[in-house]
Amino acid sequence: MRLFLLALILLSPFSFAQEMSANDWLKNMSQSLTDKQFKASVVQIQADHIRPLVFLQGKVDGKSVSYLEYLNGPPKNAVKVDNKVTFLELDQQPYSIKANRIQGVWPASLSGNIAKLEQGYQFVLGGRSRIAGRAGQMIRFIAKDEFRYDSQVWLDMETFLPLRYDTLNRDKQLLEQTMVVELLELNEPPKILIEASKHDWPAVINPTDRKEAQNWQFTWLPQGFDMVVADNHRLIGIHEPVEYIALTDGLANISIYVARASDNPMPEELVTRNGISMVVEKVGNAEIVALGKVPTETLERIVRSLTLK
Amino acid sequence: MVKSSQEWVSAAVDGEVNEQELAQLCADADSHEQWQRYHMIGDTMRGELPESIDLDITANIAAALELEPTIIAPQAIAPQENDEQKQSNLDSKPSNVVSLFKQVGQYAIAASVALVAIVGVQSYNQEPDVESPLPVFNTRPLVGSVSPVSLQTGPVVKQQHDFTEEQVLEQRRRINAYIQDHMLQQRLNSGVQTEHTYTEDVNR
Repeated sequence: MRLFLLALILLSPFSFAQEMSANDWLKNMSQSLTDKQFKASVVQIQADHIRPLVFLQGKVDGKSVSYLEYLNGPPKNAVKVDNKVTFLELDQQPYSIKANRIQGVWPASLSGNIAKLEQGYQFVLGGRSRIAGRAGQMIRFIAKDEFRYDSQVWLDMETFLPLRYDTLNRDKQLLEQTMVVELLELNEPPKILIEASKHDWPAVINPTDRKEAQNWQFTWLPQGFDMVVADNHRLIGIHEPVEYIALTDGLANISIYVARASDNPMPEELVTRNGISMVVEKVGNAEIVALGKVPTETLERIVRSLTLK
Repeated sequence: MVKSSQEWVSAAVDGEVNEQELAQLCADADSHEQWQRYHMIGDTMRGELPESIDLDITANIAAALELEPTIIAPQAIAPQENDEQKQSNLDSKPSNVVSLFKQVGQYAIAASVALVAIVGVQSYNQEPDVESPLPVFNTRPLVGSVSPVSLQTGPVVKQQHDFTEEQVLEQRRRINAYIQDHMLQQRLNSGVQTEHTYTEDVNR
């Protein structure tokens, strides 16, 4: 008996060594999301509605091509050929932007640099479960502080492609879920991608109305959050000029706006059903608005730490 | 003495007495009630209770109602009548009055049971509400319903003052503009973000 236990103790480190770490899983996922050819039927679930979509990715003549289509409501598609993403929507002219992925299915960092996420999140290997008829390995992104939400991703154990991605609020309640219902790995690029690669898409728009922003600075930001964009543009819809700053920690995106205060009082804070928090603070005759899928307390603190250099 | 007699009845229920003792029990009317109760307890423990148990409450209620003073019915029927007529009335229809009371009593019992059932169901339903999965909804009242924008967001607004309808509309328009712009920026910045992480990689 004692010998058996001893053998067990000696063997266990080896059996663990064979298991991949959460980090390895995520690196494999990032690689797969960039390299693999696949078709994924996906549903996105937010508090009170479900959005079905289909996503295809493949390689045509050495070019990476992908296609996203929302299946319900007015047609909404996006096509990516190399580093140009074109959005095709019913109510407006197609336009292209420069990006190396179509935004809207998985968070950008899942296909990008995983190491960036380590500043704000701890990766923990979770259990296994069956999703879309496939075996999935769960990996948790546990927030290192209370300034952001936790999330968890399930990876297909065969292809390492993400099968499900959940965002949970601080009370561990589900805010948003992206779940694959069918995943097909492809050997050949599908026809639609070959056609898309040949099509002449509009040129990348030059955001002419984007001017240099003021020299904004934050005296405090949660660990891992960086300023990615700072500009001056007009708000969509109401065309009000705003100073704009974008922050991200890889999973959560925060937008900060500085605008002239409106005559109408704005609510100090609100949370939308899909988990976007919004905080409004009036400073003199300006109003600072912060939005993002983070707790409102985080936004409040960020807004208060905003200064001009 | 009482305890020993209880034990004896209990033994009889379990069938651990001889015929002579059983015959003795049959003769002892005082122990019959106990005998019945023990059997009931045994049935309950074995889970062999019938759908409905005839505890014979009706007899008790009827007896209790018979003791109640019958005031209301005669007054309602003939408030102007003199004592003699009243007396004759009572003599002629006493059974009627009692049966009416009996019915009312039964309805009252049925109604109170229904009330308990409804209250029970309600409180049961309210329980999960207390720990609603979306606390946001409880703490921040909704200002009207928000017309879905193209990005399908429905803000839940914390109302601080009494706004006019116009102000609410204007406020909602601004909130929607901010939310839409926030989401559009993520689309437009997706290229920038990847470039950013890329340059960071290079710097490392």
